[in-house]
Amino acid sequence: MKNAKIGALVAGAVIVLAACSSGGSTAAPTTAASTGTGASAAPAGSTAASKGELKLGVTLPLSGGAAADGQPTLKGAQLAVDQINTAGGIDGYTIKLVPLDHAVNGKYNEQQGAQDMQTFVSDPAVIGVVGPYNSAVAKVQIPISNAAGLLQCSPANTNESLTKPEFGALDYRKTNPTKINYIRVAATDDIQGPAMATYAYNTLGLKNMLVVDDVTTFGKGVADNFQKKFEALGGTVIRVGAGADTTDFNSIITDAKTKNPDGVYYGGVVTSGGGLLLKQLRQQGLTIPFTGPDGIVNGAGDAKGSLIQIAGAQAADNSYGTVAAIGDFPGKADFEKAFADHFASDADFKVAGAYSGPAYACATVILDSLKATLDANPTADQAAIREGVRAYASDPSHTFKTVLGDESFDKNGDTTQPFISFYKVDPTAKGGVGDWVFKEQQNFSANAPAAASPSP
Amino acid sequence: MSAVGQAPAASSPGIREQVADLSSRHRSLSVIVGMTIVAAILPLIVLVPPFNSFSGQAVWMDGFTIAGIYVLLALGLNIVVGMSGLLDLGYAAFFAIGAYSYAFAASSFTHVNIPFWPMLLAGAAIAAVFGILLGAPTLRLRGDYLAIVTLGFGEIVPITILNSSKYTEGPNGIGGISAPSLLGTEFPTTGNPWPFYLTMLVMICISMILIYRLQDSRLGRAWAAIREDELAAAANGVNTVVTKLLAFALGASTAGLAGVFIAAKLQTVTPNLFRFDVSFTVLAMVVLGGMGNVWGVAVGAFVVFMIQSVFLKQLNLFFDNAHVPFLQDINFLDYQFLLYGIALVAMMLLRPEGLFPSRRRRRELHTDEDQEFGELGDELGASPE
Amino acid sequence: MTTSTLRREQPAFVETFQRLRLGPYLFVLGVAIIDFLVIGPAQFVNGLTIGAIYALVAIGYTMVYGIIELINFAHGDVFMVGAFTSMYVLTNVLGQDGPIKDPPVLAAVLFVDFAITMILLGILGTVIERFAYRPLRHAPRLAPLITAIGVSFILQNTIQILFGPSPVNTPQLISPTARVNVFGLDVGVVNIFTIVVSVSLMIALQLFVSRTRIGRAMRSTAMDREAAQLMGVDINRTIAITFFIGSALAGAAGVVQGLYFGNIQFTLGFQAGLKAFTAAVLGGIGNITGAALGGFIIGFVEVTAGAKGVFVWGQAAVFVVLILTLLFRPAGLLGQQIGERA
Repeated sequence: MKNAKIGALVAGAVIVLAACSSGGSTAAPTTAASTGTGASAAPAGSTAASKGELKLGVTLPLSGGAAADGQPTLKGAQLAVDQINTAGGIDGYTIKLVPLDHAVNGKYNEQQGAQDMQTFVSDPAVIGVVGPYNSAVAKVQIPISNAAGLLQCSPANTNESLTKPEFGALDYRKTNPTKINYIRVAATDDIQGPAMATYAYNTLGLKNMLVVDDVTTFGKGVADNFQKKFEALGGTVIRVGAGADTTDFNSIITDAKTKNPDGVYYGGVVTSGGGLLLKQLRQQGLTIPFTGPDGIVNGAGDAKGSLIQIAGAQAADNSYGTVAAIGDFPGKADFEKAFADHFASDADFKVAGAYSGPAYACATVILDSLKATLDANPTADQAAIREGVRAYASDPSHTFKTVLGDESFDKNGDTTQPFISFYKVDPTAKGGVGDWVFKEQQNFSANAPAAASPSP
Repeated sequence: MSAVGQAPAASSPGIREQVADLSSRHRSLSVIVGMTIVAAILPLIVLVPPFNSFSGQAVWMDGFTIAGIYVLLALGLNIVVGMSGLLDLGYAAFFAIGAYSYAFAASSFTHVNIPFWPMLLAGAAIAAVFGILLGAPTLRLRGDYLAIVTLGFGEIVPITILNSSKYTEGPNGIGGISAPSLLGTEFPTTGNPWPFYLTMLVMICISMILIYRLQDSRLGRAWAAIREDELAAAANGVNTVVTKLLAFALGASTAGLAGVFIAAKLQTVTPNLFRFDVSFTVLAMVVLGGMGNVWGVAVGAFVVFMIQSVFLKQLNLFFDNAHVPFLQDINFLDYQFLLYGIALVAMMLLRPEGLFPSRRRRRELHTDEDQEFGELGDELGASPE
Repeated sequence: MTTSTLRREQPAFVETFQRLRLGPYLFVLGVAIIDFLVIGPAQFVNGLTIGAIYALVAIGYTMVYGIIELINFAHGDVFMVGAFTSMYVLTNVLGQDGPIKDPPVLAAVLFVDFAITMILLGILGTVIERFAYRPLRHAPRLAPLITAIGVSFILQNTIQILFGPSPVNTPQLISPTARVNVFGLDVGVVNIFTIVVSVSLMIALQLFVSRTRIGRAMRSTAMDREAAQLMGVDINRTIAITFFIGSALAGAAGVVQGLYFGNIQFTLGFQAGLKAFTAAVLGGIGNITGAALGGFIIGFVEVTAGAKGVFVWGQAAVFVVLILTLLFRPAGLLGQQIGERA
């Protein structure tokens, strides 16, 4: 198939680019590569080398506290676009990356996210959008992108209600319920939570766990799913919520100690207080395993604001986390090197984050679909291109070669290869600052996710 | 409000005075005319450079519609803060109450489907009821205690919504909210921004007219009297508790109205939309626009919102694309609240009456400058009987 | 209606009792004992520790309100700046990065850290007063309140720009895992340190206010500014000193916060400020002892919620306490009955 070729091209580009940039030239990001006004692309039809510009939107929270989530993810998509443009664009088009930031006062904001999505859908040159990061933002964006038939690929959304009709997804794609325009490469929380529950119960041998969530869409959702599975397996759970600004977990820990938990699951992200919870657990003398979803697997001990950095490498020992994406993919080392080389001269966020790879994969899916669309119909106008990209990407029969491996999407837009990777903190890694090390991964490509069992 | 004669005095004061004079005598008409002009100009102005290079007309108009929500919020908070001098720091709570009212009334979560239009009124009324419930016991207290109680209330409402998952879907928020429909046609989510835009316009128009009427009424004079000297107002027979309560309830109902609208616009509500920074942003809008001045506050809200959602963002894109060293590494959105802070302090120290002050307010805040007491008396009318 | 008429009708022993004003103290003691029985000693220590920090912050609120009747919204952020100042002093000036084992060295480092942080924060407080509040002393009430909100934004965002939005680690000089046995109970050393430091500072402040000349000037200014001025009190200086002391105590609270939690963030001030203000209102705004008691009660409320598995409602409970106080006893536990326009 064609996409295999494109995949190879992309993979080749990774290596070429890695080679190029290690030569030392990479300056500022080269998003706006060419052409004039940028208002809209030149009319299609000319078979000349340059047919103008098409845009790839990125919708992420990029400023304030949320920048740590958004920026590395943005750069994943940026890398893909820069590589395509360096390789000469797609069928005569150059691709322009258009990132819009929906953080307000340092936190994701749904209303701003909705406005940004309006911006994308109304610009006919936008052929697809990478993002968002937070499930709550997806909930306001999907109705808009669905009505406009604009493809959205989220690298990080895990809330199951966004795609699965049995969880209420039809509320979000009301205008065109059967035209899938929202796809994602991350496994959903009804897979990620239970995966860790099974791992904790069977592999780690935990039977009575303290489950704390940060009372956000993501944190509560994944913790609920964890609890359901863990209890179904026969474990018991002490459940507590602790809102996103919590600094003092001591009362929760003191209370839990009287109930003798043998492990902790934190449903949430580190910025909500996951690091402080771990730190205070250890200070109160609880050295039991600390587990959590991808929200806690946020970098090594030298990364600002990471779980390991906040808790300290020693305290972070005996911590386990899941990532809702393939953890060990063939091109991983190459990708991380290409990323680091490409953004070496940037002020911050020089190394790939947990969702840089998925964002790169999302961009690949969209750009491959664009390539396929243009190959089939070289004279397509912008509306036809947009619809072509959407239809191609969401077609379950298509498979994409991405940096994460072969990727395709089911009838709801969920990845058919929902991988869950397990990581463990190694406090001695990276010269003693500590880092997450990959343990194993499981593929949950079953149809009934709630009953999904590990099938390595 | 009776329009006595419309002949402009022949002794020709400047055209500006004439317009001001005319508009103060025909407030409602001037609001309608003014808003119509604004409404007609905005969609046109975005078609010319440099605005058309940022985004298309539909996006601009969608942005204006959201800006309109903030204009409504600012108009409502202005009743409380600007006209009556009560500091409400939890205003977003009423916004949330309005939004969740509509979410309960028209979504797949509750399987109820009450149309948008009556819910506008209902949402406003529900918010007003909460305003009275909160205000009745606390408005007896001195003003700065009220600020803290409202701040606390502004925190409690989102916390309650977050932690009552059974009834509110908690942090997930309520999705699948119905869009408004008119004559059997549902408002489009995207593509054609006119229905939401015009609805918002009419809502602002009606609110402004009502607020102007209130300001010129006996109630409005009582608010001003309370703001300027509560004891004196009470001594002159103003029922201060009822008067303050009305200000509080009317302010809350405006927020409720805006809440219903945002729920219908986004088709999803989550507690995250109503955090304390909304309250503070709206307060900054009111202060910058000029407390007490209806038009000033509306313009202030519009300008602040546009700076926040368009200007800073375009600045980022501009410097990024132009590769300006140093400036391209700055994310201007990070500085938004720093700017608010500096603006609030500078405003209070240098120009407490706001950018577009009301005449009454300016006099009050510049107490040590010479005052024309005659005019003050005129405007306040005879002391409220 | 007025309390004085009611009082006269009561028997003599009640009157004596009321003159001693022991009621509020007994109330707080009662609350503490009941809470102790409900949540147990380990949680009680948690409550005391966090309550001590709130109490230190609350004192600054209450002092400023007492003297110029301004809710200094920026005070919570002054506390946050204190935590960052201490972090900076410890890591960049004193070169510390973890627990110190040697007691004399530990004491010396702690002393220097507290001294520098408190002085710097005191100066910050007076600067804020001088440039943001003093020019508005005769303006309508709303003006300084709004300025205070502006100052709060400025402090928060300046720290965010300087130290970044992520949480920042700060050295825990006292090993967080060090524990001692107190009456058969296993208690963290840092908990004891926090409580002891806070209570000592409160006692020192109480002595300062009641025994020194400046303290007398502060009290008289709070009571009647004009009269105090007529008696020769330098009002501007007195108010500046009040801000200095209040902000220095917030700075001390910031130091303690850093030592106790080992991690700080620029958003710290908002929630803490809100809780501390609630504590000040609860205790009777303007009353230093009241603010301290209020701080501990807020600490208990929060910890009790955590101990009973309803942690998420703890914060809401704090505000409910605030609203109930204002409804039923607006003067607070120890405050004077305030009229419409005290």
